Amino acid sequence: MVISPDLIAGVFSFLFTLLIFSYLIGDNPLFRIAVYVFVGVSSGYIAAVVWWQVILPRLIYPLLSGSTSMPQKGLMLFPLIGSLLIFMKLSPRLAGIGRIAMAFLVGIVAALTIAGALGGTLLPQTVGTIDAFDFNASSARGIGFFEALSSAAIILSGTVFTLTYFHFGAHPKEDGSMHRLGLIEVMAWIGRIFIGITLGAVFAGVYAAALTALIERFMSLINFITDFFGTFQ
Amino acid sequence: MADIIKCPTCGSKNAADLEFCQFCQTRLQPLTGPLKGLDRAIMPGQNPTVKDTGQLEPILPEWLREARSSAKKNSEDDVLQAAQKSIGSPTVSSGGDLLAGLRSHAQDNEEEDTPDWLTSITGETPKSKKAQTESPEVRWVELGAKNDFAQEDRSAEKPSWMTGPASSTSQPNNKDELTDWFQDAAKGSNAQETNQPFNADTPNWLHSMAVENDALSDIKPLQDNSSVAASDTPDWLRSMTVEDAKQNDDPFINNMALPTYGDFDAGKAPSAEQVPDWLKGHESETPVAASSVDLDWMNDLQTGEGEQPMQGETAPWLKADVPADEAQTPAWLTDMPTSTLPESEENKTLADPEQTDDTFGDVPNWLKAAAPQSSIFEELPAEQKVEALKMPSSDSPDWLNTFNSNEASESQKSPAFINDAQTSVNSDALFTDMPDWLSTMDNSSSSTTPKAVNNAENLAPSDLPTWVQAMRPMDSGISQPSQSSYSTDRTLESRGALAGLQGVLPARPGFAPTGKPKAYSIKLQASEEQQAQADLLERILAAETAPVPMTSFSLLSSSRGLRWLIAIVLFSNLSIVLLLRTQIFPMPNSFPIPPAVEGSLRVAQSIPNGAPVLVAFEFESARVGEMEAAAAPLFDQMLLLRRPRLVFISTRETGAILTERFISEALAGYNYQSGVDYLNLGFLPGGPMGIYAFAQAPQAIAEFAFARNSDANNLFDISLPPAWILEPWKSTTSLSQFAAFIIVTDNADSARVWIEQTTSTRGTTPVVVISSAQAAPMIQPYYASQQIRGLVSGLSGAALLEQNNAGRPGTARAYWDAYNMGIVFAVLLILVGGLWNLVLGLRDRAALRDAN
Repeated sequence: MVISPDLIAGVFSFLFTLLIFSYLIGDNPLFRIAVYVFVGVSSGYIAAVVWWQVILPRLIYPLLSGSTSMPQKGLMLFPLIGSLLIFMKLSPRLAGIGRIAMAFLVGIVAALTIAGALGGTLLPQTVGTIDAFDFNASSARGIGFFEALSSAAIILSGTVFTLTYFHFGAHPKEDGSMHRLGLIEVMAWIGRIFIGITLGAVFAGVYAAALTALIERFMSLINFITDFFGTFQ
Repeated sequence: MADIIKCPTCGSKNAADLEFCQFCQTRLQPLTGPLKGLDRAIMPGQNPTVKDTGQLEPILPEWLREARSSAKKNSEDDVLQAAQKSIGSPTVSSGGDLLAGLRSHAQDNEEEDTPDWLTSITGETPKSKKAQTESPEVRWVELGAKNDFAQEDRSAEKPSWMTGPASSTSQPNNKDELTDWFQDAAKGSNAQETNQPFNADTPNWLHSMAVENDALSDIKPLQDNSSVAASDTPDWLRSMTVEDAKQNDDPFINNMALPTYGDFDAGKAPSAEQVPDWLKGHESETPVAASSVDLDWMNDLQTGEGEQPMQGETAPWLKADVPADEAQTPAWLTDMPTSTLPESEENKTLADPEQTDDTFGDVPNWLKAAAPQSSIFEELPAEQKVEALKMPSSDSPDWLNTFNSNEASESQKSPAFINDAQTSVNSDALFTDMPDWLSTMDNSSSSTTPKAVNNAENLAPSDLPTWVQAMRPMDSGISQPSQSSYSTDRTLESRGALAGLQGVLPARPGFAPTGKPKAYSIKLQASEEQQAQADLLERILAAETAPVPMTSFSLLSSSRGLRWLIAIVLFSNLSIVLLLRTQIFPMPNSFPIPPAVEGSLRVAQSIPNGAPVLVAFEFESARVGEMEAAAAPLFDQMLLLRRPRLVFISTRETGAILTERFISEALAGYNYQSGVDYLNLGFLPGGPMGIYAFAQAPQAIAEFAFARNSDANNLFDISLPPAWILEPWKSTTSLSQFAAFIIVTDNADSARVWIEQTTSTRGTTPVVVISSAQAAPMIQPYYASQQIRGLVSGLSGAALLEQNNAGRPGTARAYWDAYNMGIVFAVLLILVGGLWNLVLGLRDRAALRDAN
């Protein structure tokens, strides 16, 4: 009898799914076993992937390969040195040395993130919000005027009111209390509605995603059982 | 050898015509010529010429004549008494021997004891020396009977350095280390007297001193016998002895009260005339201390006296009859007689012996001996001391008499002692020429203890040294202590720089009692406004530090029963629906397709056939069910319509294996082959940096492909073949060359990063995002801003795509009833829960109302 890998994978999938579902009765060893196994397997897999897909093909092979030019090998010394410096963080006494490479990484990532956010999110989103009132473009996309107008109005109001909600500037009153301006208060209150709706949508999405995952697991269990016993076919 | 002379200092031989020694620069030639005529010095072996010195009686000073008369009277009485008590023993004369050798007293019976120098004055022929007949046990300076000293002899108790020289007079000769000239002299003495040898352990300098004693003790016999040649005698020693007998009448020198050589002559007992009064008195009190050893330094002074004077080599300044040139005589020596203290000062000094000792505490011994106050060092009674100071001693060293040769010539005109006024004047003149240290000594001699000096009265600030002034307390702003406080503080500084000053430093440096300190009010002067602000500040600080009670609100604690109830209901419903594969809930066919989903369809339908499509798998393994269900309809339609060449890449480590799972399961029907139909580039490290680099140069960043082995059952066979070797990927060198860019993600941030980092490089490449339902609200703005062409959100979006794809692949349909059941269940649960809470709230309000 040859046990197919799919069957083994199905059995493990079935068992670990049940172990995770055991959390409904509270924290228990079965749930912890499943979690520990998942963490261990994931770590090992990630380490293997990093070794085989990153270190060997991108660092060691080029350094040992004769086809790589010396300038390229020289450039690859920088990631090698940087990785060694980061390894120093394993020792509390030498952790300070690893800060050099970490500082380099943080600086590069921060610069890229800021530049990407400006060019890929802030400016396009601002322009998109403004262009929502471009009815020609809306009509070109097949959107009616009123729909486009209402959509643009909702987008604009939602954006403005939501941003107003995060405006915390206030002025002191005679009694010493600090309050925002009345208009700001109203706009912030409307912004809270939009934020509430957004959070409701996010919650619905989270629930829908979790429900879909749960359905997939149930379907997987049903399929495994069906395939294993062939009863429900 | 007649033209060669020997240097008296270094002993080297020099030419006779040389004035100075060519080796030690000692003067060889005298400054003045030799004495001639009657002044000619007595040569060795020559008997002194008898002269009538009685003619000098009138020129003696009055005090000396009075002293002589009194001494004459006393000596006559003593002689009569001594003659009755003892016969043949040395008599001790209580009278003075002042100028006893004068003609007027030539009839005295003590002529045989008269020293040679005095004999030379009197002109009588010296008799045979008593030392030749006396026992060698006779002490040098003894007063009283011999047996008395024998009983009190404490030589055994003396240290060796003192006993050595004393015993040397009776020990055999042992002078191997003596100089030649002195050895010769010692030999001469040994021939005349019985001498005992020196102790071999005696230091050399003590040897020499002892030998000198022996030699000195034999000088007199040598003179009588004229048996010693004086040719080897040093010139300076000869000069020391020349004319000393002629100079002993100087009043100042007599006042020096130094014993003569004859007093310490070991060959004979000193006579009463030879012993000075001060010495008599002293020895009567402390006879033991007056041993010969203690007075060796005096013997040194007498070294030259016993020898025959060399007239031709006598130093001119030592000649009494030749007026010494003042330029040659040291000034301080010339004025030494004037340094005699006034009588009043002497009385004060003598009244306090300790003060006298302290006065000369810093003065060297030789200067003490030379000073006129030398007599006060002896332990004499006050009256005798005063008398001794007033009366010049005839026992003064002869060589010192020569120092005062000028005054000797003038002593015939003026008395030996001048009055107080003149003394004080001359004393001032003396101190002007004296060294500073000697002047200071003289000033300090007035008092032995530091005299208290009042800072405010006697000591002017300008007299203080600068550094002392700098140490003085300075005036300050603080109230100065009253004058009474200074006056009451009479602390005498005994040490340091302020020694001798009184009241210089106050009892408490810098501060004096100022009385009761002022009372300052500690009440803060603040206005009402300031106090109000202070109160406000205090309230703010109190509010900051005061604990704020947490507003507790009743958490909706999920009871285990409720949780189990909900779980059971949900699981049962889903299980039933899935098991039954029901299609209760219709697919969204009747609803218009949302623009986002429609845009995704357009993109999928608009890509060229076989065109490269970049797919980023950015989701976790836990979301694989949803993501595969959401992505499968779009990929199904796209693959079905265009069969694009897919390139999968992921910034997550599990992206590669999830890609293989998606290809092998969701798209299994299309039989896509790795490396041919699709490229699984695998993991892209670096996060945003990796995405940015990949967008710039995809082939350079992701060179290898995560190729799964052809054996689909071998999940662990992972190899990295080179990618981008086949068309159309080989020509795809930039991100803009991809026909479409599909992002499959469950995280809005992953979609945002890909969108942001590829904005500048993707060009017109359409972007479609297949997201999880939970990330769709966050990604929707990117569709609204036209940054992405389409958005497929979760299972609902998949259902919309499936409805437009003829129900393929059917995954959404399989999950749709369960999904809707779960949504309905959730809605009902929320509604029921809300209504339940509403009911509970209304009940509580009603109960509260009833209670009120």
